[in-house]
Amino acid sequence: MTNFAIPNFILPDVLLLIFPFVVIGIRLFVTTQSKVPWRMANIGFIAIFFLLNFIPLASGNGKFFICNWKVDDFGVLMREVLMVSALLGMWLSKDYFEHGADKKPPMHQIAEFIGAIAFATFGGFTVVSACDLLTFFLGLEIATIPMYALAAWNKRDQYGSEAATKYILMGSVATAFELFGFSYLYGFSGSLHFNEIQAAVASGSSPLLWIAVLFLFCGIGFKLTLFPFYTWAPDVYEGAPTPVTAVLSVTSKATAIAFLVVLVYGPLSPIQDKMAPLIALLAGVTLFVGNLGALKQSRLRRFMAYSSIAQAGYIMVALLGPATTAKTAIIYYLFVYAVSNYLAFFVFGIIGHHREETFQSLRGLSKQNPSLAIALAISMFSLAGIPPLAGFFGKFHLFFSGASTGHYALVAFAVLNNVIALFYYLQLIKAAWVDEPDGHLTPLRLTKRQREVIILLSIAVILLGFVPFLSNNIFAGFMN
Amino acid sequence: MIDDITLGYLILLFPLITFVVNGLFLGNKCAKAAAIFAVICNGLAFAAAGTLAFHYFSSDFAPQKAILFDHTFIPFIGDLVARIGMLVDPLSVMMLVVVTFISFMVNIYSIGYMREDRAAGRFFALLSLFSFSMLGLVVATNLFQMFIFWELVGVSSYLLIGFWYHKPSAVSASKQAFILTRFADSFFLLGIVLVSYVVGNFDFSTLNSLSLIDFQKQFINLGLVTIPKSEALVLGSILIFTGGWGKSAMFPMHIWLPNAMEGPTPVSSIIHSATMVVAGVYLVARLFPFFAICDNALTLIMWVGAFTMVFAAVIACTQKDIKRILAYSTLSQLGYMMFALGACKIGQVVAVTGWTASTFHIFTHAFFKCSLFLIAGSLIHQVGTNDLDAMGGLGKKMKLTYACTLISILAISGIPPFSGFFSKDEIILAAFQGQHYVVFGLALFTSGLTTFYMFRLFFLAFHGAPRHEGVKAGHVHEDFAMTLPIAILAIPALASGFAAQPIFEKFFVPGQMNIPQLVRLDHAEWLPFVAVGIAVVALVIAWVLYASPWAKVGRALDETNRSGIYKVIYHKFYFDEMYYAVVRQFIFGGIARVARAFNDYVIEGLLAFTVWFVHKLGDLVRFAQAGYLPFYLGTLIVGVLLWRFFGQLPL
Repeated sequence: MTNFAIPNFILPDVLLLIFPFVVIGIRLFVTTQSKVPWRMANIGFIAIFFLLNFIPLASGNGKFFICNWKVDDFGVLMREVLMVSALLGMWLSKDYFEHGADKKPPMHQIAEFIGAIAFATFGGFTVVSACDLLTFFLGLEIATIPMYALAAWNKRDQYGSEAATKYILMGSVATAFELFGFSYLYGFSGSLHFNEIQAAVASGSSPLLWIAVLFLFCGIGFKLTLFPFYTWAPDVYEGAPTPVTAVLSVTSKATAIAFLVVLVYGPLSPIQDKMAPLIALLAGVTLFVGNLGALKQSRLRRFMAYSSIAQAGYIMVALLGPATTAKTAIIYYLFVYAVSNYLAFFVFGIIGHHREETFQSLRGLSKQNPSLAIALAISMFSLAGIPPLAGFFGKFHLFFSGASTGHYALVAFAVLNNVIALFYYLQLIKAAWVDEPDGHLTPLRLTKRQREVIILLSIAVILLGFVPFLSNNIFAGFMN
Repeated sequence: MIDDITLGYLILLFPLITFVVNGLFLGNKCAKAAAIFAVICNGLAFAAAGTLAFHYFSSDFAPQKAILFDHTFIPFIGDLVARIGMLVDPLSVMMLVVVTFISFMVNIYSIGYMREDRAAGRFFALLSLFSFSMLGLVVATNLFQMFIFWELVGVSSYLLIGFWYHKPSAVSASKQAFILTRFADSFFLLGIVLVSYVVGNFDFSTLNSLSLIDFQKQFINLGLVTIPKSEALVLGSILIFTGGWGKSAMFPMHIWLPNAMEGPTPVSSIIHSATMVVAGVYLVARLFPFFAICDNALTLIMWVGAFTMVFAAVIACTQKDIKRILAYSTLSQLGYMMFALGACKIGQVVAVTGWTASTFHIFTHAFFKCSLFLIAGSLIHQVGTNDLDAMGGLGKKMKLTYACTLISILAISGIPPFSGFFSKDEIILAAFQGQHYVVFGLALFTSGLTTFYMFRLFFLAFHGAPRHEGVKAGHVHEDFAMTLPIAILAIPALASGFAAQPIFEKFFVPGQMNIPQLVRLDHAEWLPFVAVGIAVVALVIAWVLYASPWAKVGRALDETNRSGIYKVIYHKFYFDEMYYAVVRQFIFGGIARVARAFNDYVIEGLLAFTVWFVHKLGDLVRFAQAGYLPFYLGTLIVGVLLWRFFGQLPL
């Protein structure tokens, strides 16, 4: 039945699609200094986030729009994660347009910047809504291409350009892998549609299918920074402007993991148990290498790059579990990860506005600015997974998912790795809390927005851990 | 009108609130406010306990057990559920009153005693934690709850004994108390595990209605041997008793109690009278029907108690530190309580006199012992030392204290009509009725010793000429906050015997048991006269030696020219030294050194290697990250090949 009225569950997606055009469009009619685009962007993002919360969960197989755009529970929650990330990324970026940071000049064209973030977010929306390979691939590309531009946003910063060059070159190869994988998958199943692919996969496998699986994992491994495809991450994270790094580490990673979730629990679900060894290996090696890399870093963003590589490994552990458990764990963890990670990046950003973004700059933070030091400690302890902060429960759900299908060895290995992780997260805290202050460091000043966001995020990190019904709610969404 | 359940909660909550409020808020800021708050809350707790006791004993319900509330704490498996509850029966109600009352008195006293201490706020917080722990222990409905509060009692006693942590002797005393009781507690825990495993339940009601016959046919594998479950229960009962053995400082785990004198005197007072040491006796009394069915467990308890009783009394006769004398007297009195419980068993049947006597003695002892310690603290406050050498002649200056001391000492000596007479008489009667004639003789003998050493203390401290410069010069006064509780405590020390005897005889029986009970035994009418006679003789001897016109006080206190036996006793049979020898030579020198070497070379070595190895791997990862784009692009290709061959895909 054809119905020209737009169903309301699609409204946030439509709004987000229109959103960048509006923001960029308004820019044409106002002065450079005008705050209108910025305010519009705020209103828009918050409105979309709120609209998402009105979509009822527990909807079974989800609702379809023109039978090719699926909005299911996982999709809605993933959209919320992505919107949180976009909103926080936008707030973080604002200061970088006002004055330079980390010895780089200020950036320009905030409206376009926000538009790019919105496009990337919409890419993520597309990935979780796709019902066929083409949409799926398009979503991934929409999510990736703005990132290339964002990485090089600071045109006067040659490191940024270098980073973007590396990123786009390696990204192209990865995209090629993806396409190659998709083409084999099409060749194997003879259809682009997920349901038919799933039926074909269930009826029997052939080397064609396995080549497709291999290349799909390798391709997405690039975006998810899995071993050994993570090599771009430290360089790009360090070269790109700080807010872009933050967006990269959350939005891009969330999109990539959503891609894998859709794939593994969608068309490839009949062979999940046969892919388990590969997933387990990828997870184990990635989290180990990420942790090793983070050990002796001195630059904060490079450190965060390795930390987020390791986090990707942890998230991969959940992919071994049954669909409901795994999706719950991943969604909950992504929320926690987004909040904790952005909290860290906000603290680093404030440091970066006045000092270099290195461990050295954190020395004696607890004496100069105790509240900032507390926020840093909260975020680091959460990332390290110390109870009762959110990170602990997030990791618990991830490992629980992995263990529920009997991958005890991997879970044990991951938990052991947490010891290494704790070691380097604690080094940051040590720098802030134990080391003597360095008299040469310029004092820190917090703007009102920064202070508010940091308080908000700190509370969120604590609350997400302390209030178990939040995770239970997410869980309930999948219980049906 | 507040109902009994609310009262039950209030009794436990008042001390807890005091601990939290004083510990977190008031303690550091205003010691005076903390003190007043602690006194008010503990007073209210006492009022609540008193009301509850009145309700309970005046109702028709009285000797039965009731559970006021019961919350599931940890559900283990099946019936094995750890609960936190509140059990009400004559024993626990009596203890509630005693603990809250003593705690109230001690708190009042501490206002005066801790007036000049900088950390008085912390003191009041810890004191309330102490009484809260003991209250929780007393109302426990099951072994698990008891163990939790048992350990809390241990922790708070540790914190209080070591309250003056700047004094090395206090620190070592607190450690000694904690480690020794913990050592005993580990057996207690083992016992709990064993018994709860065999029975499948923690509840006292279940444990107290067991019958060994049900367990004789079943076997349990203890790792080394397989034994019938009934024997496992006997073993468990002895292990559980070991917990009480250490907590009640029975020989040979007694050494911590005299050394615990290093804490502030109010702490000693509360430890000795209401909390901590009576916990062991209380445990045995609470689980009495269980111990009664476990073969010879009660006989062991009796001998441990009887030996400690005589042993401590002998030492007390020679000591010069007044707090130590009191400490050994506590040991001796605890011995009385313990053996009275043990003496209940006569062959295969059980007489309940001893149980009643023992709980009665817990009750009366609490008042006079608390009072005696508070008095000791008061004296120490005047002369600045614990030593009898420096006292003497205080009676004239501290009239009220003098009178109260006399009452308490007459009470502990068992002179009628003071409280100690009634309970001690019943204990000795229990030994007689149980046909344990050796123990009976020892008890009579110890009763004489008790009178002797208590009056020795009394005469040396209050009579004769002053031996302290300050006292000679007349710098003695009675502090109001310190004298008030002493005076109040003199009342129950005098009257709790004859006033409470009817209640105890009516309500205090250990409950239904699965073994034959001897309900009535002949009362030996001549016994009180013998006991009092012995006490009077001992009193006269003490008077002749220390207070009569012929007494040579100087010689009595001089310890240089003494016989060998006296020296051995004076040095407490060298038990402290033996402990130190074992600990230093054997544990520190032998076991600890081997463990240390293993730790240093094997474990640390492995750790160091792991750290080095991980760091090297980290270097490798960073080395690969050289920023060289062709290499990066290469990794993509290598990655595909890598997972092609190692990804375990069925290609």
